[in-house]
Amino acid sequence: MICSPGTGVPGDDYRPGMPAAVETYSLGAPVPLGEIEQELKKLWHDGKGAMTRASLMNLAVYSEQPGSLQRNTRLMAQITENHACRALVIEADCNANEDHVSAWISAHCHVSSVGSKQVCSEQISFLLKGRCTTQLPNIVLSNLDSDLPLYLWWQEDFRESIDSQLWTWVDRVIYDSHGWRDFRSQMRLLELMRQEANCRIVLCDLNWTRLDNLRFALAQFFDHPASHHRLSKINRLRIDFAPGFRSTAILFVGWLAAQLKWQVNEVKSAHELRFIGASERHIDVELRERNGQPVHEIVLTSGDVEFRVTYAHCGDLLEVSRTQREIRHPQLMPAGNNDPVGLISEELIRGGPHHIYLNALNCIRDLL
Amino acid sequence: MNRTADQPEPNPLREGLAARPVPQPCNIVIFGATGDLTHRKLVPALYNLAADGELPPDVVIVGFARRDKSDDQFRSDLEESTRQFSRQPVRDEMWNTFAQSIFYHRSEFGDEGGYKRLAKRLDEIDKTHGTRGNRLFYLAAGPDQFEPILKNLKAAGLNQTCKGSWARVIIEKPFGTDLASARDLNRVVRNSFTEEQTFRIDHFLGKETAQNILVLRFANAIFSPLWNRHYIDQVQITAAETLGVGTRAGYYESAGALRDMVQNHLIQLLCLVAMEPPTDLSADSIRNEKVKVVRSLRRWSRSEIAANVVRAQYTKGAIHGEPVTGYREEQNVNPESQTETFVALRLFIDNWRWADVPVYMRVGKRLPKSATEISVHFKKAPPVLFNKDLRDLNVLVIRIQPDEGISLRIHAKVPGTSFRIEPVKMDFHYGTSFGKPSPEAYERLLLDAMGGDATLFARSDEVEQAWAFIDPIEEAWHGKKDAPELYFYPAGSWGPEAADDLLARDGRAWRRL
Ligand SMILES: NC(=O)c1ccc[n+]([C@@H]2O[C@H](COP(=O)([O-])OP(=O)(O)OC[C@H]3O[C@@H](n4cnc5c(N)ncnc54)[C@H](OP(=O)(O)O)[C@@H]3O)[C@@H](O)[C@H]2O)c1
Repeated sequence: MICSPGTGVPGDDYRPGMPAAVETYSLGAPVPLGEIEQELKKLWHDGKGAMTRASLMNLAVYSEQPGSLQRNTRLMAQITENHACRALVIEADCNANEDHVSAWISAHCHVSSVGSKQVCSEQISFLLKGRCTTQLPNIVLSNLDSDLPLYLWWQEDFRESIDSQLWTWVDRVIYDSHGWRDFRSQMRLLELMRQEANCRIVLCDLNWTRLDNLRFALAQFFDHPASHHRLSKINRLRIDFAPGFRSTAILFVGWLAAQLKWQVNEVKSAHELRFIGASERHIDVELRERNGQPVHEIVLTSGDVEFRVTYAHCGDLLEVSRTQREIRHPQLMPAGNNDPVGLISEELIRGGPHHIYLNALNCIRDLL
Repeated sequence: MNRTADQPEPNPLREGLAARPVPQPCNIVIFGATGDLTHRKLVPALYNLAADGELPPDVVIVGFARRDKSDDQFRSDLEESTRQFSRQPVRDEMWNTFAQSIFYHRSEFGDEGGYKRLAKRLDEIDKTHGTRGNRLFYLAAGPDQFEPILKNLKAAGLNQTCKGSWARVIIEKPFGTDLASARDLNRVVRNSFTEEQTFRIDHFLGKETAQNILVLRFANAIFSPLWNRHYIDQVQITAAETLGVGTRAGYYESAGALRDMVQNHLIQLLCLVAMEPPTDLSADSIRNEKVKVVRSLRRWSRSEIAANVVRAQYTKGAIHGEPVTGYREEQNVNPESQTETFVALRLFIDNWRWADVPVYMRVGKRLPKSATEISVHFKKAPPVLFNKDLRDLNVLVIRIQPDEGISLRIHAKVPGTSFRIEPVKMDFHYGTSFGKPSPEAYERLLLDAMGGDATLFARSDEVEQAWAFIDPIEEAWHGKKDAPELYFYPAGSWGPEAADDLLARDGRAWRRL
């Protein structure tokens, strides 16, 4: 298959994705900590031309990787094209000897989809040195845009030492379990924090978000009531995943198990599992590691019908097909974007509570 | 918005992935498939749904028209128009798989044999393409063709399906030209399809901001206590366009602004603004409340019509600085035409919530701006303290198109030592807050019809009640004796003075757009 970018003259109503207009990816002007709000006001006041300041949420991102301020600033520049927010970008050097916090302010501006107005999101960047975990809650809480929800994108492993007050303020915590070395202990910590916040925090695992389009593609095979009976006859499942993405594949299995009421019956190896479904039916699950997309292909067999979701060569399209007695009808669907900007955007668009994720987790937590 | 009673058990794998009835595999048969609507709106909408992954893979499009065309020719015509009109750029590989499911069926609307052949073809497609016997018939043809199409669909047994499958029909506007013809048409439709199978399209209801009216009203506790005659002074609805009649003169000459826009789109918007909270979000609960609003619209005697409705026609003038001709000089327009291109109405909803609150509606072509907006004007605060000299009211504006959004005008003190108070605007723009562009109205509506959700479609009683309100006005206008005057306005103005007088008499004025 030949992959092409979209072509053709867009129609009258066609509105292109907002191109970054005045984007420098710089951290902006350094500001004294106590004067951030005043400096932000000045920033807007001095802005040239028709600028609109927009915000739907506070999006805080925390990392301890050196250089993450620049990297995350670049990500924020792209994320704010579709999700207006106040961005708080934080890099922490917890091993520094003395305590010190530096701050910068900047704006990400994009041409709005309506007219030529520039829509701008503000970013406050912080470099924390020293006792970061004590400094962090205060830095976040004192710089929130009021009345807007707080989404915290945590790019590190979770630790017990983080102030619990912070968690009571967080509406959604975003993380990527794909990078976790010890899944169970991380999950335990997260659940503890969630309890401390009266289960108010929504857990947003980008490893789960990675599966959104794949889940969607597989689910649509069973929309028609006449195909529901196929669900109870599933006997085989094969998932091809890229090295390092076993947990992503396992989450997918967990989703099917939770929704279709399968239980783990036997763990033959890390790559071969057996589940048991209703009326004692066995479902054999094979996990194959091979290069490609995080989860590259899913093949579900139900009696004489095979349901396949696989990445098309283009990488951003999924080929979905249902094969019965050699007859196959492949169709294309969007695959979504697996880079951090794509995943975060998907997560922010979808919203809602993630109880399906929690159910999936409960089914497979011992396998991770 | 909710699952209807005939909806099947949900797919467990959809949980958390779809918040509305899921579209089902089906054959979409478009009657009038070589026409403008199909090329400009319907197929681009279906392509966009496919490209966004919203269309089930087992959806087949069968175009029905009388011109001789092969499947391939039809596909390539559609490809050209979709590339031109699609909301997003067309990707070759996506188009190629999408186009594999498009077929052309050549036949006359009046030829019964053509429908028998169609039925056979659909059965075959069911077997080869997994469309499962579901049929969605889209009548994208002139209204004079609805009857033969519906009759022949029935004669060929296409209105019925096997157990577990469905047949639905989408009917384009105009739905009748008056109450009698709408009733006739409803009878014709009912002879072939039940009300549950019938989806009367009003693309205004598919617009994001129209849907947002209910959310604004019923998801925000601050508005509900104020949303009544005690706090609202007046409501204004404006649908203005800079365009003239263009190539639609043939249709427009016999319709006019009242039938073309007020009977359907504007009355539907009014219903969303004025309805009581529905008991739930099911299609019928919402439509039950909407129809009550239309029923409560005050009916006028012939003499009252002249005092409450103003009709007018544009004469030559200028739009965006360019000179434009008058309506009567447009192509295919009768040089003595009496057709209105502008209408302004002063309405009352005689029910408990809205008694004595005037609703001013205006719609027109060749106005200075293109904009569809609803404004809710709140009553003045008591004339004490700051309010002795205040003239402006608090106004909540719902912008339907373009620049979809909501704004609220409040009063604020001008900084300084004096106590000067001025109105300021709090403004929310969809385009600014949500980067993602809204889907086209037809995308949403097609998806809903495939999912069996009729919430955003007009029910027969809504349509009939709207005609019952419109008919006396049309009759008065076209009566032999004492017909209310047809006013004239230069293109590029906000309509005739008489439209301003309609409000001036009440001590009010049109909102400045
Ligand atoms: N166009 C729009 O934007 C728009 C918007 C809202 C509502 N509508 C409504 O949608 C409907 C269609 O509008 P349109 O603009 O698409 O009309 P159109 O361009 O005139 O197309 C009419 C279609 O009907 C077919 N047709 C007419 N008589 C036929 C017959 N006896 N047998 C078989 N096919 C026949 C034509 O086929 P041939 O080409 O083979 O003659 C053509 O495909 C109308 O009711 C209109 O009011 C249109």
